[in-house]
Amino acid sequence: MYVEIKNLNFKYKASRETTVVDFSLDMEKGETVSIVGESGSGKSTVLRLIAGLEIPLSGVIKVNNKVMVDDSTFIAPEKRDIGMVFQDYALFPHMTVAQNITFGLKRLTNKEKKERLAEVLELVSLEKFKDRYPYELSGGQQQRVALARALAPKPSLLLLDEPFSNLDADLQKKIREQLKHILKCTGITSILVTHDKEDALSIADSVVVLKEGRIVRAGSPAQVLA
Amino acid sequence: MFKTSRLKATYLNTWALLSLIFVLLILAPNVNILINALKPGNENWYHIKEYLLKDYIINSLTLVAFTGLFTVLLGTTLAWLVSVFEFPFRKFFKWGLILPLAIPPYIAAYTYDGLLNYTGVIQTFLRNSLKISVNQKYFNIMSMEGAVFIFTAFLYPYVYIITKSFLEKQSASLIENSRMLGRSPLEIFFYVILPLSRTAILGGVSLVILEVLNDYGVVKYFGIVTFSTAIFKTWFALGDIDSAVKLAAILMFMVFAVLLMENLLRGRKKFSYTTSKVRPITPLKLQGMKAAGAFVYCFTVFSLSFLIPTLQLVYWAFLAYQKVLHVKFWVLIINSLSAALVSSVLVIAIAVVIANYCRLNDGLISKIYSKITTLGYSIPGSVIAMGVIVFFVGLDRRLVWLYHMISENSSKLVLSTSMAMLTFAYIIRFLAIGYNAIEAGFARIGRKFLEASRTLGMNVTQTFFKVELKMLQPAIISGLVLVFIDILKELPLTLILRPFNFDTLATKSFEYAGDEMIHEAAISSLIIIIISAVSVYFFYKIGDREES
Ligand SMILES: Nc1ncnc2c1ncn2[C@@H]1O[C@H](COP(=O)(O)OP(=O)(O)OP(=O)(O)O)[C@@H](O)[C@H]1O
Ligand SMILES: [Mg+2]
Repeated sequence: MYVEIKNLNFKYKASRETTVVDFSLDMEKGETVSIVGESGSGKSTVLRLIAGLEIPLSGVIKVNNKVMVDDSTFIAPEKRDIGMVFQDYALFPHMTVAQNITFGLKRLTNKEKKERLAEVLELVSLEKFKDRYPYELSGGQQQRVALARALAPKPSLLLLDEPFSNLDADLQKKIREQLKHILKCTGITSILVTHDKEDALSIADSVVVLKEGRIVRAGSPAQVLA
Repeated sequence: MFKTSRLKATYLNTWALLSLIFVLLILAPNVNILINALKPGNENWYHIKEYLLKDYIINSLTLVAFTGLFTVLLGTTLAWLVSVFEFPFRKFFKWGLILPLAIPPYIAAYTYDGLLNYTGVIQTFLRNSLKISVNQKYFNIMSMEGAVFIFTAFLYPYVYIITKSFLEKQSASLIENSRMLGRSPLEIFFYVILPLSRTAILGGVSLVILEVLNDYGVVKYFGIVTFSTAIFKTWFALGDIDSAVKLAAILMFMVFAVLLMENLLRGRKKFSYTTSKVRPITPLKLQGMKAAGAFVYCFTVFSLSFLIPTLQLVYWAFLAYQKVLHVKFWVLIINSLSAALVSSVLVIAIAVVIANYCRLNDGLISKIYSKITTLGYSIPGSVIAMGVIVFFVGLDRRLVWLYHMISENSSKLVLSTSMAMLTFAYIIRFLAIGYNAIEAGFARIGRKFLEASRTLGMNVTQTFFKVELKMLQPAIISGLVLVFIDILKELPLTLILRPFNFDTLATKSFEYAGDEMIHEAAISSLIIIIISAVSVYFFYKIGDREES
């Protein structure tokens, strides 16, 4: 398996109950898994655990046969090679689109950076906007910049936390199609968190349903969400 | 179940190490005071304890009690007037009444003395023009009552600012309801406003009390013996550091008592608002006599605590500027500004390190760190000075071998006679101000940019320099300005710890005034006041914009 997650348990310091209970998930390379569930069910927390932004109480995460976390190891988020698109995008407000996108490309030469920038800009069709600042962009454009920024360093795994939640309904539909296209084009392995069943149905290869931190159902989208 | 390698995840890195070092350095002088205080006292101490200590305590407590009472009366009534009523010049008074903060009490003290004494403008006018000779007793401000007047007139803004912003944020419904229930404004003031803003008033008045306990200039000039003046005298006149430290320890306990009392009185009611929606109060328009009364009250306070002393200083400065403005004076200004600048930059740098560490680790340690970091601002300058002296003399004693290695005939006291000692003390005392500004800045940024940056392969330090430093800029600038001004005005620390022949605008004002060279003192005082007034105005405007 390309991604192996076994029995993750997690509790926030400030909260009493365990937030994530025995979460396990296996993924093939290139697969897109969607995590769905009600608000507060722990979807974002699972992504944060995978990204390394939180430390699990117990459990194992392996990506591409590399141990990210187990009883004796913890790899810091900046060393995991896992990209993430945040719910509110978290674009750096004082950097242009181009600067935001090349931010994660620190190992490349300037020439390589330029090439990669052009590639991802084309992928998200934002070539014309590369010198704008985030606040000069529409919500949908910001969302695509966030996606481009996460894709630019070619992460081994991409995490998307409700990428459509800040967009209005019309736009959601359009961007969903674009995202599906982009994920297929790049062949990247990805986990998409959403509370919208249609998102999951149209994009994901398989679906996991979370409730109060536990997996209550898992399988193909058609089976699970029927 | 915590394995060692997992600890890495809790940012056990340079930030943690630096924070620990800074916090220990801040703590060391204060712990020194407490340890040294436990040593058996010498003969001096016996004498002080038997004959003098009672006076120090009574005088300090009298000043604190009356200043506390009067600042509460003045501060709350003014805050209530400008936030609940509409009257002529209300907009101006809203921020104008904050301006007295720009005048350090020690400058106000000698200004008022110069204004009121036998050769002052008022008595001269009465004598020469109206042929009236007054009883000197009524015109002598150099007394306990005079000191209470000065502290009240120039420290009430602490109560005023906090109470005003509390009233403005407080949902208007309570006040409007009581109005509709037929209560008179005065009844509302006593039965609604005062109890409601209890915690705000307490916060303001404890700042006032800490300032009074910190003061050295006013009481020294007026000849009142308090802990600060006693510490100075014991150290400079008797050269008895052990007894001075013991006095400092007692003063420190008084400060802790004040802080404890504030906490107890405030109880669990931290500034909380019952309704989440905050609707600003619609001010009630005052008519006729009432409007005139409100105006006269505000104008009287504004005149006494800003206009009159400032005009007097301008007049004196005008008389003396030709005598004072020569090369030496420019050297003084440069000294003063550069000392303040270097120290405030260091304060901000240290504040950034500790604040960043604390926000990344929200555990008990962070809470302890931020408590220690902000403690210094409560501790009077004279106490910090004693702690720092003991600390640096100890350091020098331990480093003698090093000094001799560097230079054969080096003196035994190097660090404790250098600017390093004063700078260190400034940092301890004013770190709280920088820290609060930076902490608020970090809170505004949040953690999301850090998290985004880390998933893009940057670690905490890289993220700080590439992303957050830029976003922190407004907080850094405002923290820098606030600390800079406080250092510029600072008197007791500077007087005790400055190297030989080093003067600042503050010490020079104080020395000139003490030598009856009031006109010469006016110019350096005015520079301090102008710089502070501009920043007071600037911050008021920014604060106002953010609230609306
Ligand atoms: N920093 C935190 N400290 C304490 N508890 C938290 C913290 N963050 C989240 N929680 C709690 O953990 C639970 C799971 O939160 P999480 O954000 O993972 O939910 P979610 O499924 O992403 O919800 P949503 O769809 O609203 O984004 C919630 O009950 C939440 O209140
Ligand atoms: Mg979420």
